Amino acid sequence: MTVRTPALADIPHLETERLILRAPEAADFDAFADFALSDRAHYVGGGPEHNTGYAWRVLATLAGHWHLRGFGIYVAQEKTTGQPIGSMGPWFPGNWPEPELSWTIWTEAAEGQGYAFEAVTTLRHHAYTVLGWITAVSYIDPGNARSRALAQRLGCQVDEGAAQPDFDDPVEVWRHPGPEDLK
Amino acid sequence: MRGYRESDIDAFAEFYASDRSHFVGGPMTRELTCRAVMAYAGHWHLRGYGRWMIEDKATGDTLGNVGLWYPDGWPEPEIGWTLFNGAEGRGVATETALASRAYAYEVLGWSTSISLIALDNAPSQRLAQRMGAWLDGTFVHERYGEMQVWRHPNAKMEASP
Repeated sequence: MTVRTPALADIPHLETERLILRAPEAADFDAFADFALSDRAHYVGGGPEHNTGYAWRVLATLAGHWHLRGFGIYVAQEKTTGQPIGSMGPWFPGNWPEPELSWTIWTEAAEGQGYAFEAVTTLRHHAYTVLGWITAVSYIDPGNARSRALAQRLGCQVDEGAAQPDFDDPVEVWRHPGPEDLK
Repeated sequence: MRGYRESDIDAFAEFYASDRSHFVGGPMTRELTCRAVMAYAGHWHLRGYGRWMIEDKATGDTLGNVGLWYPDGWPEPEIGWTLFNGAEGRGVATETALASRAYAYEVLGWSTSISLIALDNAPSQRLAQRMGAWLDGTFVHERYGEMQVWRHPNAKMEASP
């Protein structure tokens, strides 16, 4: 039985120098599950203690956000290999205090190449110019040194007064430069 | 029977905060409820089918959700239904579950279907029976525990009453 995937939202196809940014799709499941069930996913609630059902629900959650909000997380695919290497984008589930720019690199091999910087720079521009955002934050686990370094490189600063999402553990709220700051 | 909207989260949050939601994995916090509604919508994107919101034609009230559900870890695709508090006892689940089953057979070409029902969920077991389904073993889910597998009449049986 083959079922055509319905177009639930008009999900843009964006490109950076080295990446294609596109909608999450069913074929991403294996690569995503490898990440979500690895130690690398500890900062985003995953890890080896979970099972593939968990990974599938999270991937469905990423896709469903598009349907509810009209924007959401993209999967970044390497242009040269066609491999999905991470997921990032504007994220604003119903229990978030304000819209977030989020990022995750799925594999060790794709780390350290500036992929997240490249993708998030493009997606931040998209959020400000197409979605009309006037500000953006990123929620980062204080122990996640790599993501904190990227936030700094993106020009973000910790916003001590900003509201926290209702996680069990507190996160750092990194405030991005606004649209005017980036002109 | 329609797709999901941001505003549906409030109705789910009220239901998932109530005791009745224990048949379907609840009670849940608002955070988990938001994730659950996103997953309901995202299932359509990943599988090409899913569960619909049920809306009362006359009043526009949301009454629950119903439809076709096959996340990773399920033994096979199922027909599932959940009615919010106060929507029970009016035949809403029967009407929409039958429409879901017809959609599975006629539009998607499914040859069989099941419903997974909690052992202590007598109202849903009665509904499965009314739909002509029969008990076909049990299934143990890693998170939800043991559930009854109700097997529905297949497409051919349904066409020849």
